[in-house]
Amino acid sequence: MADHGPAFWQALLLTWKLTLVSFVPGVLLGVLVAVLRLLPLPPLRWALSVYVEIFRNIPSVALLIFIVFALPDLNIVIDYEPSVILTLTLVCSAFTADYLRAGINTIPGSQIEAALSLGMRPLQIVSAVVLPQALRSVVQPMTSLLIALMLSTSLASQLPFPGRELTALVSKIANDSALGIAAFAVAATMYVVTGLLIAWAGAVLEKKVRILR
Amino acid sequence: MSRSLEEILFAAPGLRARAVTKAVSAAAAALLLLLAVVIVWQFHSAGQLEAPYWEFFAWATTWSFLAKGLLGTLASSAMAAVISLALGLVLLLGRLSRLRLLRWPSIAVIEFLRGTPTLLLIYVCFLVLPSVGIKLSTYWMLTLPIGLSTAAVVAEVYRAGVLAVPRGQTDAARSLGLTEAQVFFFIVFPQALRYIIPALVAQLVIVVKDTTFGYVVTYGELMQNAKVLIANYHSLVPVYLIVAALYCLVNYGISKASQRLGRPMH
Repeated sequence: MADHGPAFWQALLLTWKLTLVSFVPGVLLGVLVAVLRLLPLPPLRWALSVYVEIFRNIPSVALLIFIVFALPDLNIVIDYEPSVILTLTLVCSAFTADYLRAGINTIPGSQIEAALSLGMRPLQIVSAVVLPQALRSVVQPMTSLLIALMLSTSLASQLPFPGRELTALVSKIANDSALGIAAFAVAATMYVVTGLLIAWAGAVLEKKVRILR
Repeated sequence: MSRSLEEILFAAPGLRARAVTKAVSAAAAALLLLLAVVIVWQFHSAGQLEAPYWEFFAWATTWSFLAKGLLGTLASSAMAAVISLALGLVLLLGRLSRLRLLRWPSIAVIEFLRGTPTLLLIYVCFLVLPSVGIKLSTYWMLTLPIGLSTAAVVAEVYRAGVLAVPRGQTDAARSLGLTEAQVFFFIVFPQALRYIIPALVAQLVIVVKDTTFGYVVTYGELMQNAKVLIANYHSLVPVYLIVAALYCLVNYGISKASQRLGRPMH
């Protein structure tokens, strides 16, 4: 088992990397979608609602398989690793947009009226009044989303990557040797500890930025 | 009823603003239409719109096979839901226990099951358990891990509900002479359930999504049956599109139901 030590660290690093590189663009895209959904443009609102509902409700595996195996038939070929990142980014953006919508709904309408009466323009209000408060109120669900996303990187084990993340490493070790249980225990510990770290960081951030009403 | 935020934000625009909005709206619609045309064109130029790729969807056998897959998905989801609701209650009771000997192991089990990917648990049932002599059917190789990892989440949802029940309820019940078990099962838990039913139903969406891993263990659920269809008809894109749409519809239905349940009952 000790021989696999370096492999586990590499796998953990790959898990972290996949999580980060899909979380950051996912959140940015989600914020953009949430803001665009506020604009008084019915066709855009409708299309973005469809976007959010699709990527919130589709199983990530089904989306990944579609991107990897079906898109090449449409002459769109995306490499394995970018496919995983794209899948997780799309799913993350849909959930972010949905949580932000809920966060936006907690802002009292009187604040908007006050800002309007000060002569602020609608987009100015969105960026200076609505978004800062909405972002502060979604720290908790976003923490859960980040943990769920981290666990979802296990999807990458479904593709023949050159590098292996934790789940792929466990399935390889279990296939090759009788060390399955030990490998599972190590990987599970790494997942759990990562999740607890994220939860702790989220709680600290939440305490710092929450708005007491 | 109060107005939504965007209604206030963009209320009573001037004549000019209204004209600009209309123009931008039309431009957005045109752009979306263009996008749709590009997608259809991409399908066409890749030859994916040709009849052989789609004609078997006109056959009843195809749909009955997909329906069978959906049934497999629902059978696994339902059992996983039952396991998680029951086991979640056990974990909750352990979590709330005053005995450290019960509480700490329960916390450990909850954090462990919640913190590991369901797919990893499935691999354990699929690859590791057989090597130590435990042989599960494909149904259980899929359903058991999903049930276990959902149970941990459900235990935490239950706990949130129990903590939301006002303390006065417990105190009143105790002062009436009810035992601890009676207080929990007749007073606290039923009220907690009412708070958390939307969250529990929403959890069902995640269960349905997780059953997609059925193809890993070759259990005949929707995704696995889709793979069989593809192998038979060499029609990748249409089958995956239809299957993705079916998943979206099922989960959308569940989400909507949970939102409806989430409305206040008074």
